[in-house]
Amino acid sequence: MGGVEDDEPASKRMKLSSEALIHLSNGSTVKESIVGSSRDLMARPPQSDGGEEVVGSKGVIKKVEFVRIIAKALYSLGYIRSGAHLEEESGIALHSSIINVFMRQVLEGDWDESVATLHNIGLTDEMIIKSASFLILEQKFFEFLDEEKVMDALKTLRTEISPLCINHGRVRELSLSIVSPSHCFTVRSPKQNTSRARSRTKLLEELQKLLPPTVMIPERRLEHLVEQALGLQRDACMFHNSLDEEISLFADHQCARDQIPSYALQVDANGISLKHKLSGHQKPVSSVSWSPDDHQLLTCGVEEVVRRWDAPSGECLSVYEKAGLGMVSCGWSPDGKWIFSGVNDKSISLWELDGRELECWKGQHTLKISDLEITSDGKQIISICRETAILLLDREAKVERFIEEDQTITSFSLSRDNRFLLVNLLNQEIHLWSIEDDLKLVSKYRGHKRTRFIIRSCFGGLEQAFVASGSEDSLVYIWHRGTGELIEALPGHSGAVNCVSWNPTNPHMLASASDDRTIRIWGLNNLSAKQKDTHGNGIHYCNGGT
Amino acid sequence: MGRIFMITLEGRVYSCKHCFTHLALLDDIISKSFHCGHGKAYLFDKVVNITEGEKEERMMMTGLHTVVDIFCVGCGSIVGWKYEAAHEKAQKYKEGKFILERFKVLGPDGGNYLAIQESLVGGSSDADDA
Repeated sequence: MGGVEDDEPASKRMKLSSEALIHLSNGSTVKESIVGSSRDLMARPPQSDGGEEVVGSKGVIKKVEFVRIIAKALYSLGYIRSGAHLEEESGIALHSSIINVFMRQVLEGDWDESVATLHNIGLTDEMIIKSASFLILEQKFFEFLDEEKVMDALKTLRTEISPLCINHGRVRELSLSIVSPSHCFTVRSPKQNTSRARSRTKLLEELQKLLPPTVMIPERRLEHLVEQALGLQRDACMFHNSLDEEISLFADHQCARDQIPSYALQVDANGISLKHKLSGHQKPVSSVSWSPDDHQLLTCGVEEVVRRWDAPSGECLSVYEKAGLGMVSCGWSPDGKWIFSGVNDKSISLWELDGRELECWKGQHTLKISDLEITSDGKQIISICRETAILLLDREAKVERFIEEDQTITSFSLSRDNRFLLVNLLNQEIHLWSIEDDLKLVSKYRGHKRTRFIIRSCFGGLEQAFVASGSEDSLVYIWHRGTGELIEALPGHSGAVNCVSWNPTNPHMLASASDDRTIRIWGLNNLSAKQKDTHGNGIHYCNGGT
Repeated sequence: MGRIFMITLEGRVYSCKHCFTHLALLDDIISKSFHCGHGKAYLFDKVVNITEGEKEERMMMTGLHTVVDIFCVGCGSIVGWKYEAAHEKAQKYKEGKFILERFKVLGPDGGNYLAIQESLVGGSSDADDA
């Protein structure tokens, strides 16, 4: 019964189908007829050269394995009859009969028989047999304890578990649990309820993990394969930028372009009202950064001093300077307790907020135009130390690592998870480096223009899947980080776009600053209508006053 | 305006005479025997803080060359040219190298250079057959 009998002559099969059809017209034995007709309608799968049947257009899926994991999936979904029916119809058993016997014995608690069966399965690895036996006997032991059959449990431990000579630490724990029952609770995983023995189905799952997958198919294997495929589809989707995107199994996942911010929501320098003018610097201000608690600002004058301001009041709280030297860059520590700054004598200085200098690293650490960043765990300080090199300084371990480029580096940007660095080069390329363990060049992004200015780029979007950059041709460039493909070059500005910043909490919003004295906020097209109503701004072009 | 990216050189530096942007090091001079419309010119191995113009074919004293004019990033004034390609084998050594006109730059001692107003020969002159 069942099975694809290839040597059955074609005529006989045809006869069967006509008989089946007759049955159908009579209205009787519908089930049989369906079985019959479906068997014939089933296309004959292509035969691989190795003699093993394969399915699928590429010929890499073995039919026997395919059917077995489908059967396994049916069983785990609870469709026992369908699973059994599949095994019968295909003639492919999910598990060999001996495994079925083994599983039944485990579930019914025939411990000694199951251990015996274990030896008959035909496993070659001694350790597996021993470990599996250990698990089964451990279960036996605990079930005895649950039933208060202490002597039986002890006997099991002495005569059956110990002679296995493995997992001695566990054996000691087991013997302890006889003596002090309360100890037993800590020995088991916290998930256990009052009974000391875990459920037998759990035991079966543990055994499944131990035995080779061909012998006993792992749980949820089909689900795992599908999830893998969906994961790959998602990673390949270049425009994936929304959390609520549901991935369907019916078609390959591909987002439309509309999830990338590409529409100018606000073009503005005046719509935002001016709160304070912070005066005090004598030289041009080259960088501004918010404190981690968003209440203070740190600013740096070009080769001048660093000033700390209170944002709500606009008052200057501290000035950090070094006699005879000028600061070139500044930043906050992740806990907001100290600040650091690059000095034009090539050193990096660390100050407490009250002005006391904590540390100073001398040597070739910074240049005069120096980006300076710190990782969010406060461990590494990153700076441009030579024309073509970036230094990653581990403060505690006092270890220096270098990213070496063969072109001049103009600026860099650190990802929020501290694992990647985006390096802007003189020759109009942006390089993505992995800085976690080994320093490795991962990707290159091209297309934007840079000849005179410092142009900044940044990470952004859902899970920082995109790279955005300014450009001297007044476009905002957006690449897909994984594939390196240019997705958008957004027109709108009328001057060089100097820097971009992607909203860290809203993956659909991007800001850009340009020589045309405006800041543009970019968003999704479908939101523009809403913006117009609520804010009354809509899109308006201003002359960008002072 | 955006922040101009400028490299700071160390050592004996030639800089732009208008805005003092560093352009090249004395140690990178290959030859001092070049000429331009405004007098002397030096051939440098490496020059920084410049932008390049459009490629042009120019007939120089030593033959036809493909050159691009170079401009200071700080103020945009023309400071010399770069040899992209030389059409004669003997002149190939110039390829990829830069010419800075002595009149346009300040020397390492800050000294200026009084131009000899020769009749401009097509804008550039060339010379130095190495």
